[in-house]
Amino acid sequence: MEDRMGWVRFVGFKMLRLLSLLAGVSVVSFILMQFSPVDPVEAYIGGDMIRVSAEQRSLIEDRWGLNDSPVERLLTWGQALVQGDLGTSMIYRQPVADIIQERFMNSVALMAVAWALSGLIGFGLGVVAGMKRDSRLDRLICWYCYTLASTPVFWIALLLLMVFGVWLGWLPIGLGVPAGMAADQVTWGDRAMHMILPALTLSLTGVAAIALHTRQKLVDVLDSDYILFARARGERGVQLFRRHGFRHVVLPALTLQFASFSELFGGAVLAEQVFSYPGLGQATVQAGLRGDVPLLLGLVLCSAIFVFTGNMLADILYRIIDPRMKEEAIG
Amino acid sequence: MRGFSWGKRSVRAGLGILLMCTVGLSGCTQGTSSTESVHQAATSLPKDELVLAVGTEPEGGFDPTTGWGQYGSPLFQSTLLKRDAKLQLVNDLATEHSVSEDGLTWTVTLRDDVKFSDGEPLTAEDVRFTFETAAKSGSVIDLTNMADVEAPDTTTVVFTLKSPQSTFISLLTTLGIVPEHAYGPDYAEHPVGSGPYKLVQWDKGQQAIVEANEQYYGKKSTFHKLTFLYLDEDAAFAAAQAGTVDIAAIPAAFSKQQVSGMKLESVKTVDNRGIMFPMQPAGAKSGDGLPAGNDVTSDISIRKAVNVAINRTALVEGVLEGRGRPAYSVSDDLPWSNPDSVFADANPDEAKQILADGGWVDTDGDGIVEKNGTKAEFNLLYFAGDLTRQSLALAAADMVAQAGIKVNVEGKSREETKKLAYTNAVLFGWGSHDPLETYNLYSSTHKGEGYYNTGLYSNPAVDHWMQQALQATTEEEALPFWQKAEWDGSTGFSYQGDAPWAWLVNIDHLYLVKNGLNIGEQQIHPHGHGWPVTSNLEEWSWDAESK
Repeated sequence: MEDRMGWVRFVGFKMLRLLSLLAGVSVVSFILMQFSPVDPVEAYIGGDMIRVSAEQRSLIEDRWGLNDSPVERLLTWGQALVQGDLGTSMIYRQPVADIIQERFMNSVALMAVAWALSGLIGFGLGVVAGMKRDSRLDRLICWYCYTLASTPVFWIALLLLMVFGVWLGWLPIGLGVPAGMAADQVTWGDRAMHMILPALTLSLTGVAAIALHTRQKLVDVLDSDYILFARARGERGVQLFRRHGFRHVVLPALTLQFASFSELFGGAVLAEQVFSYPGLGQATVQAGLRGDVPLLLGLVLCSAIFVFTGNMLADILYRIIDPRMKEEAIG
Repeated sequence: MRGFSWGKRSVRAGLGILLMCTVGLSGCTQGTSSTESVHQAATSLPKDELVLAVGTEPEGGFDPTTGWGQYGSPLFQSTLLKRDAKLQLVNDLATEHSVSEDGLTWTVTLRDDVKFSDGEPLTAEDVRFTFETAAKSGSVIDLTNMADVEAPDTTTVVFTLKSPQSTFISLLTTLGIVPEHAYGPDYAEHPVGSGPYKLVQWDKGQQAIVEANEQYYGKKSTFHKLTFLYLDEDAAFAAAQAGTVDIAAIPAAFSKQQVSGMKLESVKTVDNRGIMFPMQPAGAKSGDGLPAGNDVTSDISIRKAVNVAINRTALVEGVLEGRGRPAYSVSDDLPWSNPDSVFADANPDEAKQILADGGWVDTDGDGIVEKNGTKAEFNLLYFAGDLTRQSLALAAADMVAQAGIKVNVEGKSREETKKLAYTNAVLFGWGSHDPLETYNLYSSTHKGEGYYNTGLYSNPAVDHWMQQALQATTEEEALPFWQKAEWDGSTGFSYQGDAPWAWLVNIDHLYLVKNGLNIGEQQIHPHGHGWPVTSNLEEWSWDAESK
């Protein structure tokens, strides 16, 4: 009974935090957009600027409500948001919710695959490196991780694109579906083929942090007295790790893995750009470059919820995996 | 915001560099079985289908009333008139059009045999509906000069303008007609029109698949199905290398790379770059009250000397890798341009003479001329991040330095440039199929209004000729007036006249095209890349031997 109350309070508290976070994030983003040098009308008109008269320009401003004061605009936006309306994108001329939903479905699959892969591979590599400390294998894994950690996502993306897309021709160079194929003929296999390179890019770069942290934690654990004792009893290798190491290293790995939601999101923006993959990333770049306030705010909210969810999942898993956490004060 | 643009730029830059490296390396891999098989796979596609990577995605969808089809053709819709390869007006939906004596009433007669792709007939009511919707849309389509549009019967449309505007014709050639009966909030995603093609599928952020419209009344294309991929220029180049596309638009930086199975086509353009000079002495004000004017560039001998000193052919060779041609006006080779505006350049000695005649002499021996204590020195701004503009600005500055003028080249963001453009020389790019652009750039009505006429140029004779041009009832009638505004024998906005600009180059648009694919006779393309290449799709074909 007490346990359940603990969960309710835990979740309720989290929700409260989420709401205040979202409010804060939207106000700050809105203010930043106000100070941004990008003139949305200019960005929208783009190359047509010499054909659009001052009169037409003010028509566009009227339509977008740019003539109201910033506070008024923020309030109008907030009111609509409370009623579940995210507004209409200026450049796409479509409800923001529709755009985000459509894009999110593409991105979420990509990010999920990349996330799972990088978590499993990274954890595995970290464990192997930690267990075989100072061996050649360990050094190889560390070298690989340091190299990856210092490599920009888009550069990896480009390398993969060149090697597998252009030179070998094994995988498509971009897009989420085959060129020119009717939607009803696109198979899951096709979608998977198109997801391989962007997902590989994301997971390759995601591996480094988790592998290095896991390795370090395992090294610390292996230096402890109880491991010495366990070794003295003749335990070694897989058995030693399973009995005494696993629980110690899996927690930091999980935290990192769920906290990496934000990097995942950022990485997806770049990877999607390189592979012309139609996810949230593309939409974010467009919204930012062209000063599309409603769309950008919608995306900011969406990413905040996404990252928040990642962190909350980590907290929940902590409570499940490590019984000691339930005793501690909430927060 | 900055973060995003930085990210995108570095992606592009990185991709560019990598692609270059790759091509260097792929010299060794060419002919290996894997690359070969990719190309074979691509060429074995049915010959009545094409995959194109030629333009950016119209984010707003395929609704002409909010801007779709302003460049090139709307593809799914047809326009009242259109321009042929020579940019001459030809009828499309219209059978004839006429303008009243006062230039205010335009009457267009329509064909009566046109059907939309859903089988419904296209009538004058649809045209009226289209123009009214576009006027209300608050988009890039500027119909603020249209007072009224009526459809007295099913084949007649009457437009009433607020003031005479011969360039109104451009709206008749670019605005695609939408069906009133099938128009709704989701029209942009599901367009119905009377154009040569109909949209089959739009995978947002990725591609649009189109098929021939069976109902189309005009000449049919040999290609039954087209797939437009929305790729960045760099990604488009990678796609061409991988053999995925039949035609890809590429930047000049990639033009030296060979791509097996494809040829490079350069298309002539009016996509120009030129230097705009502030025309007033310092102390003037722009329309928004920003400081304007420049004591050095307001002197005509400086502007003429800059114009003459620049070696435009060298700019084309050096900066554009030969993919372009010298520019002498905003509208080179377009019907309303005056061929007399061409002059002999690349002559620093003549430039020195012009300066000396204007009272500019180097008295302190530092290589820079001065007049009444003012040094011949000014800033030249370009949009930071645009490599072509940067190279052009630097090269031009070197050339005019030989004549004794010091030009300080500075990269600025678009936003900064907008504020500084009234007091500094700026490297701008224009080029349009609409002479209204000429009017907006040089007319004193628009001086200091946003990007219009940032130099505050004003010449009553030029204004007079351009007013005549706008009031003309037909385009042919307007042409001589436009030409006279440029140079009427005694004054004008060309080099021979007031020289408010030093035009530098017209940049060719480059396309990698599959061997054997013939893209017909292309129009002179306007500023901006992409869609115009498809405006003559009905002329595209495969050469006989490659069938």
